[in-house]
Amino acid sequence: MAQGSLDSNGDITYPTSIDGESSAANVNAGLDRLRINAADENDDDGAVQITCFSDLSDDLTLHFQIIRLHKQIYAWIGCNSAKFGHLYAAAPTRPNNMVSVTSLLGGASDNTGSGIARRIVLKTGLNVVLACNIPKDSPMLEAAAEKKLVRKLIDLGYTKSKI
Amino acid sequence: MDASSAPFPVRHKKLSLDIQGNKTDIVICSYDDHFLVIATQIGSMGTTLRARKEEGVSIHPTFCVSVIFGKRDEPILVACARQLIEHISNCGSSLPLVLSLGLKDHSVGTLKGVVTAVIANRLW
Repeated sequence: MAQGSLDSNGDITYPTSIDGESSAANVNAGLDRLRINAADENDDDGAVQITCFSDLSDDLTLHFQIIRLHKQIYAWIGCNSAKFGHLYAAAPTRPNNMVSVTSLLGGASDNTGSGIARRIVLKTGLNVVLACNIPKDSPMLEAAAEKKLVRKLIDLGYTKSKI
Repeated sequence: MDASSAPFPVRHKKLSLDIQGNKTDIVICSYDDHFLVIATQIGSMGTTLRARKEEGVSIHPTFCVSVIFGKRDEPILVACARQLIEHISNCGSSLPLVLSLGLKDHSVGTLKGVVTAVIANRLW
């Protein structure tokens, strides 16, 4: 095994091999690659990720959009259209880890999305802002949409521990 | 069964840039009846505002801007939303705007940077 020596820059230098090629460059390049890779992983932790998908069942199309921010999730559920719908914010609140939900836009007499937002926080521990245009008085549709969204959040690895 | 043959009905754009030394992530989404703009430096949506053009017969449109979540004592955030909704209106759209600003500072330079970046990448 070749013996190396430490130079003033902190790099390890090795004597050239028999065929004249230096292995020091290879070692240093490897160290550089490790530093670059570490930086990439840190960048990915803070990068915004957007996931869009649709699901067709029973002649209804549900559209889902998930925007993952570093500390929060924004999700939109569309039923057969791309209307924005009502907007809710939900988060776990201290001290006893209950879930608080508030309606930001619409939702005064129709709280279809607020239940979904609340249960997403319960099941995933995430801080959530949810826009939802599912029609009111459609509990089966609401449950189906919620199930698909929660499943996707778990599959994407966005969830924290359940509350 | 997935509805994978049809394109996703919501258009969006995502960009990341440096504004006044802070990494800023901007997402712009176009729904049937709203535009959504998220500009964040803090990893969350921050203060959320709603801006819309008011119905009227006057030649000059008027706009209504309100904070629906977060800081209600930062007029510069309201000004930012006002500038964007006016731009949307001048481009011929009457759709309202939902704007989320999660910014580390509320300086004029930062807000100008956000407005410039959003307009440069607009979906209206």
